[in-house]
Amino acid sequence: MDFAWDDQQAAFRSTVRDFLDVNLPADWETIAHGPASEAQTKFSQEFCGKLAQVGLLVPHWPERWGGRDADPWTSFILAEEMWAVGEPRGGQYMNVNWIGPTLMKFGSTQQQERFIPPMARGETLWCQGFSEPEAGSDLASLRSRAEKHESTYRINGQKTWTSYAGAADNCFLLARTAPGKNGLSIFLLPMDTPGITVRNIPSLIGDGDIHEVFLDDVEVPETALLGGEGEAWSIVRTALSLERVGIPRFALACRVLDRVVASLRKAEHFSSAACVEAARARAACEVARLYSYQIVDQRRQGTATGPEASAARFATVTCERLVAAFVVEHCPEALAGGDAMLLAHHQRAIVAGIASGAAEIQLNLVATEMLGLPREPR
Amino acid sequence: MDFRPTADQAALVTAIDGLSAQFREKPIGFHGFALVSEELEQRLAAAEFFDVATTPGLGPVGAAMAVERLARLPYTAEIALSMLVRPHVLGGAFPRPFALVENGRPGRFVASAKSLLIADGETLAVAPARAAAVEPIDSLYAYPMARLTKKVATKPLPPKQAAEVRTWLRVALAAEAAGLMQAAVDATVAHLCVRKQFGRPLGSFQALRHRMAECAVLTGGVRWLALKAASTADQGDAALAAFHAQDSATRIVYDLHQMLGAMGMTLEHPLHLWTYRLKALLSELGGGGAQAHAVARHCFA
Repeated sequence: MDFAWDDQQAAFRSTVRDFLDVNLPADWETIAHGPASEAQTKFSQEFCGKLAQVGLLVPHWPERWGGRDADPWTSFILAEEMWAVGEPRGGQYMNVNWIGPTLMKFGSTQQQERFIPPMARGETLWCQGFSEPEAGSDLASLRSRAEKHESTYRINGQKTWTSYAGAADNCFLLARTAPGKNGLSIFLLPMDTPGITVRNIPSLIGDGDIHEVFLDDVEVPETALLGGEGEAWSIVRTALSLERVGIPRFALACRVLDRVVASLRKAEHFSSAACVEAARARAACEVARLYSYQIVDQRRQGTATGPEASAARFATVTCERLVAAFVVEHCPEALAGGDAMLLAHHQRAIVAGIASGAAEIQLNLVATEMLGLPREPR
Repeated sequence: MDFRPTADQAALVTAIDGLSAQFREKPIGFHGFALVSEELEQRLAAAEFFDVATTPGLGPVGAAMAVERLARLPYTAEIALSMLVRPHVLGGAFPRPFALVENGRPGRFVASAKSLLIADGETLAVAPARAAAVEPIDSLYAYPMARLTKKVATKPLPPKQAAEVRTWLRVALAAEAAGLMQAAVDATVAHLCVRKQFGRPLGSFQALRHRMAECAVLTGGVRWLALKAASTADQGDAALAAFHAQDSATRIVYDLHQMLGAMGMTLEHPLHLWTYRLKALLSELGGGGAQAHAVARHCFA
């Protein structure tokens, strides 16, 4: 067991930091809030292009698709450094982490050649069309339906909470082709297809982040289907396993906490009570980091990730919650015209326990799969 | 970064588990608090397990793993300080067992210790125990407790030495707490799987499942922090590990007793052996407040 970075990992981290030093503008921290704001989306497009040019966008992808087969630590170190400065890749992190790799595994040759190269060049933004008004954590109750008419599918339904939908080029869409759990299919849907209406939902988590997407007689060719009909469940499971570690949220949380503690000390306001709360938040950040590293290490070794991934997720939610609460209590100006990065963190932190599977779902998984407690009768 | 135990560390855990197999059940007739086993201690000594931290290929991480595993037993002995702290006290020159006496308060294993670490405020000193006048105390803490009846004359360790010993005291506390928490969680899960109310196992009620899952996540977190601190020997990592151990212990102890109901109030069920050891650890090294200040000093730039 070894908790130190090797020389190669340390060197890679410095490369990423050097890149950020050169390529983040002086006013970056004021742009970074609202992960899908117009300003950030525009910035991310250019930024991802630059990352791609120096081989820092998709290093963990196969060479065939513009990567260099780097190990999971490389992509995680990259993700940590990006998240710690406010995720300048914007929504493109989804392409990099799981949409691209999922297409590599399940896509047809035509789908791969059409969709993967623009991702590898950092030119395209995707959104994820999973949640619906009546299907959040319970995806099996999804209603949007895709009906086959000769060589096309006609899609009708409604998606909600869809991040980045306002600016996305394509949607990784989940729709029903038959009743039941095995009747779900994935469609790769260009967002300029007629029949799609996107409505921004004003929210607490930043400008332009979440949306409703209405699908009215949206017609796509059968080549838009990913894998076969009814294969969504196994595809989504693979996609989720690629995304198991999730966002290294602890990286920004830890940085924000450092920053607030430093300013409290400078102002001589770092009381004993604040000290205990800061230690609690700092410990939670470190716990989230170690749980997440454990999952990355399992992926590096090629061992299956088990319920520890849910524990990692819950630990991450806890660290976000504690840091966000610390900031609001001890640096209230964060939400009132103060440090823009603290506001950006707040807006990201409050959604940590909701996005990509509610914290309570993670607790259920820990209870059943890690502790072996009997399931709740349904 | 490598989160797998090395082959040697994995073999060590297997050997420790083999040795401790006969100590895994509380004797049915035992209805007390300090369930101590001299035989366990002798067998660990005979197999040279107290020297794991200085054994090539095992190291302090191996020692922390061993402490964590052994803390899961209903039986106790002075293990953590011997395995993790002793090598850092004047080059391992003092004989085990060790005990820590803080600010004149009762301490664990003080009556049986051969070497004493004596903490007064910020100073830390080491002394042979033979000169000390000791009085054993009945207590609920599930460790043998005793106090010094007279002050022992000591020379404080130089600050750098004292800081190093404090770091390893924190690692030892966290590694032991992680094992105690794990055993308490396991015993509670076993109860929740078999005890039925309203026609179904208690463990199928989401109100309890979520609380148990939170306890399990906290426990795993304490274990990771302890192992990391043992690996890096960093003052900040040790402070985080000890802080998180003490901070989580209060909540875990409350939740687990709540779930065991009246059964957890009996001395027949072993839960108290782990939870009252955790309660003993809560106040050590100055308690959570002191760990928090150490975190502030070493972890915030």
